[in-house]
Amino acid sequence: MTTSALYTHFARHAGGAGLKGASTHYCAGCGHGLAHKFVAEALVELGVQDRTIMVSPVGCAVFLFYYFDTGNTQAAHGRAPAVALGHKLANPEAIVVSYQGDGDLAAIGLAEIMHAAQLGIPISVVFVNNAIYGMTGGQMAPTTLTGQWSTTTQDGRGPLQGAPMRVSEVIAQSDGAMYVERCALFDQKQRKRCKNAIKKALRLQLEGRGLGFVEILSECPTHWRMSSREAEAHVRDVLSTVFPLGVIKDEERQPWFTLPKPDFSPERVLAAIGASDAAPPRHCRGFPEHIDAADVSIKLAGAGGDGAQTAALLLTKAAISEGFDSTHIPSYGPESRGGTSYADVHVAREEVLSPGAPEPHALVAFNAPSLEKFASTVRPGGLVIYDSSVIRTVPDVAAGVRVVPVPCTAIARELGNARVKNVVALGALQEALRLLEPASLLAALGRSLAGKSEWIAVNEEAFRRGGSAAAGRS
Amino acid sequence: MAQERAEVVLNPELCKGCGRCIDACPKHAISLGAEINQSSGMSPVGIDYGVCNHCGLCITACPEPHGLGHHQYDFTRRADAQSRPESVPPRRIPLPELEPVVLEGNHAAAIGAILAGCRHVFGYPITPSTEGAELMARLLPQLGGVFLQACSEVATVNHMYGCGGAGLPTMTFTSSPGFSLMLEGISYLIGAELPGVFVNVMRPGPGLGYIGPEQSDIKLVCRGLGHGNTHAIVLAPTSPQEMLDLTFAAFELAFRYRNPVVVAADGYLGQITGRVSLPDSMIEPGLPGWAVWGDKAHKGNLNTSILQDWAELERHNERISAKYREMERREQRSATYRAEGAHTLIIAAGTPARMAKAATARLRREGRSAGLFQPVTLWPFPIDALREPLKRAERLVVVEASDGQLEDELRLALQKANIGGIPIHHLRHMGGILPTVDEIYDTVRHVTEVEH
Repeated sequence: MTTSALYTHFARHAGGAGLKGASTHYCAGCGHGLAHKFVAEALVELGVQDRTIMVSPVGCAVFLFYYFDTGNTQAAHGRAPAVALGHKLANPEAIVVSYQGDGDLAAIGLAEIMHAAQLGIPISVVFVNNAIYGMTGGQMAPTTLTGQWSTTTQDGRGPLQGAPMRVSEVIAQSDGAMYVERCALFDQKQRKRCKNAIKKALRLQLEGRGLGFVEILSECPTHWRMSSREAEAHVRDVLSTVFPLGVIKDEERQPWFTLPKPDFSPERVLAAIGASDAAPPRHCRGFPEHIDAADVSIKLAGAGGDGAQTAALLLTKAAISEGFDSTHIPSYGPESRGGTSYADVHVAREEVLSPGAPEPHALVAFNAPSLEKFASTVRPGGLVIYDSSVIRTVPDVAAGVRVVPVPCTAIARELGNARVKNVVALGALQEALRLLEPASLLAALGRSLAGKSEWIAVNEEAFRRGGSAAAGRS
Repeated sequence: MAQERAEVVLNPELCKGCGRCIDACPKHAISLGAEINQSSGMSPVGIDYGVCNHCGLCITACPEPHGLGHHQYDFTRRADAQSRPESVPPRRIPLPELEPVVLEGNHAAAIGAILAGCRHVFGYPITPSTEGAELMARLLPQLGGVFLQACSEVATVNHMYGCGGAGLPTMTFTSSPGFSLMLEGISYLIGAELPGVFVNVMRPGPGLGYIGPEQSDIKLVCRGLGHGNTHAIVLAPTSPQEMLDLTFAAFELAFRYRNPVVVAADGYLGQITGRVSLPDSMIEPGLPGWAVWGDKAHKGNLNTSILQDWAELERHNERISAKYREMERREQRSATYRAEGAHTLIIAAGTPARMAKAATARLRREGRSAGLFQPVTLWPFPIDALREPLKRAERLVVVEASDGQLEDELRLALQKANIGGIPIHHLRHMGGILPTVDEIYDTVRHVTEVEH
């Protein structure tokens, strides 16, 4: 009967040759071997070995996959919890263990473990704290004790190197971490507790309850420059006074973690992305050749919130539903609201080649700075529409440019909603330019207001009033 | 009567002599050894079996899995190598003929990914790519998928490493500063041979730069994907349509080569809205045999980029390089516009290619011999397709929104192909300014007239 999820033969360790095929790469007396054994036994006792993925860190435990007869993933330094979450979200049935040392977890990987702990998606974290960097040869770790010698704290860890980080206490502050315990390996009682803690963390994951975090104070005789038995005593007498042993957090939580199965039914996918095989009705008889033979460009400009982008999008959508090519490209200032907001629209018979509108056929300006900036760019014979409610002076325009004042804001206010001034402008633009048909734009308006039918009437009225104003009928 | 207990057995070759069992033994039956074991070079402990009552506490204290146990370790025993399961291939599901949709570039890429079977998206908000993540966050829950907002781009790429390592299609949206942060993880993906799709909506740098369009990362995506011998197929769209099509294609390429694929868009493409035709089919992903999925069938699998044996690591690199050579042979993509017989050949990719196309149309209308060659793959550079128009071309004009990063790729490709002697002119903009149609037109006229 298998009692451990460790391989009988370590085929990946130096190709499994000789003694390496049966022994670990760890130094004599290192605590990692014990931590491995306890995880491996717990996996078998819970019956989850086959569905387990061990995520190995960078550090001494980088070769975890030599030993664990489970699925294995080796992560970049510090990123094991992020990798573990990737596995868990891919396959929620997998039991995912993020196994990390103190440098990996508490230095370079602090952001990843903190956010995994706050998130609380059920994974199990085994944190092996030996207060030193082992693999790189005995440098200071975030958990190195005050005064402790290391190759990078030659006079002992002092004030300039800060104090040791009590990681489990930090993790326990995170809402998503439901169980946090600090264990040790220095005697039989501690080893038993450690194994039970690991098993508990795994069970919480298995039951979909939450994230379990087990810190293990572990011996590093090599870099502590101690015998194995001195190292055990050091954990018992020194380390565990700085890092107190015991349960730090143990919350009751109901199982909650489930994920739906990914859906690949074409109907659902097409509904989600808004695709349809139904052709929208066309209203235009042909391309508006009276403006340009192949490509009409329009600029809508105002301040953020004026609705220039929304109006531009409506134009683009309407033009595309008429079978033309059309593009809309915005240009915003850095502010989310209230900055400059320009939109360039092209409507082309075949293909929009260049989507910018440096010399538009028509300009719609919602404020004075926009009109000032762009009026002179409108090409000869073109059209300028401006909101005469807010703009008092009109700058020079090229020869033959028609300038049409439309009191967009005043009309919108009369209609009881200042936000529809862009639709007023759109109605005016349609009337003055005859780019598409009114019905095309009204249909696009209706589609964009799907689900907000109470807004349709006021928008349609705004469109009509804009048209009347441009025609001089208002 | 003595309790029946399994015998405690020391495997002296596997004992490193740490002595942690000594204090664990209530009978004080174990002592440090004095003799050096001939095969291990270590001094194993000794057990006094006259005192030992086989309680087994020493086994629990032994850090070596096979050092102390209940039986002699059998050095001849080999576990049966676990065979890799058959791959479940992805399934292509036909779609009805659909009306074109109107999509913003970032949204088009997101929908391309959804149609390619991607239901797991990770990301960190960054302008001008964020709309892609936002749409995924809205749509994926409707489709049994997951959008996870990561704590950083570093975490993002590592979520992808886990999810892609489980064999599923996964992707992210980012922009240049965020892409810089993902490079480490991309190197790991390449090393571990894992798929993943990165839509990088490039913006100007260096540093924070700003949020406009720039082709700022051509160097990174072609030559700088983190440490090591790294390459990935880089696709450069020019429209919302290509944002969808190339993102859709990126997933198949990522799985075919088990390598990341980059869609190198720019801020302009991310934000532009246009007409998009939908493909005639969508994909339901399978599960590759190599996946670390988390079940019995896939238990023997391993995703790693560490190889301790130097010769093996060289072979691993050679194997990956062979994939790069195959990509260079098979995956070059390009488009041309009136390039046949053109005396002046404009080279432009991404959004500037769109302006270059308009300028070419104007030059041709005036009877000038100009054409456009547009690399669709920035890496591998489509040098094979460039040979034909180069036969008639008298000069090249590289138009780009960067300080010559595309031109460097062109020059390297020409040099590797032993093509020399053709004058190369350029028009460049940076900072969010794109080359305009007028500028391209003027540049082509200028270089043509100066040469003559």
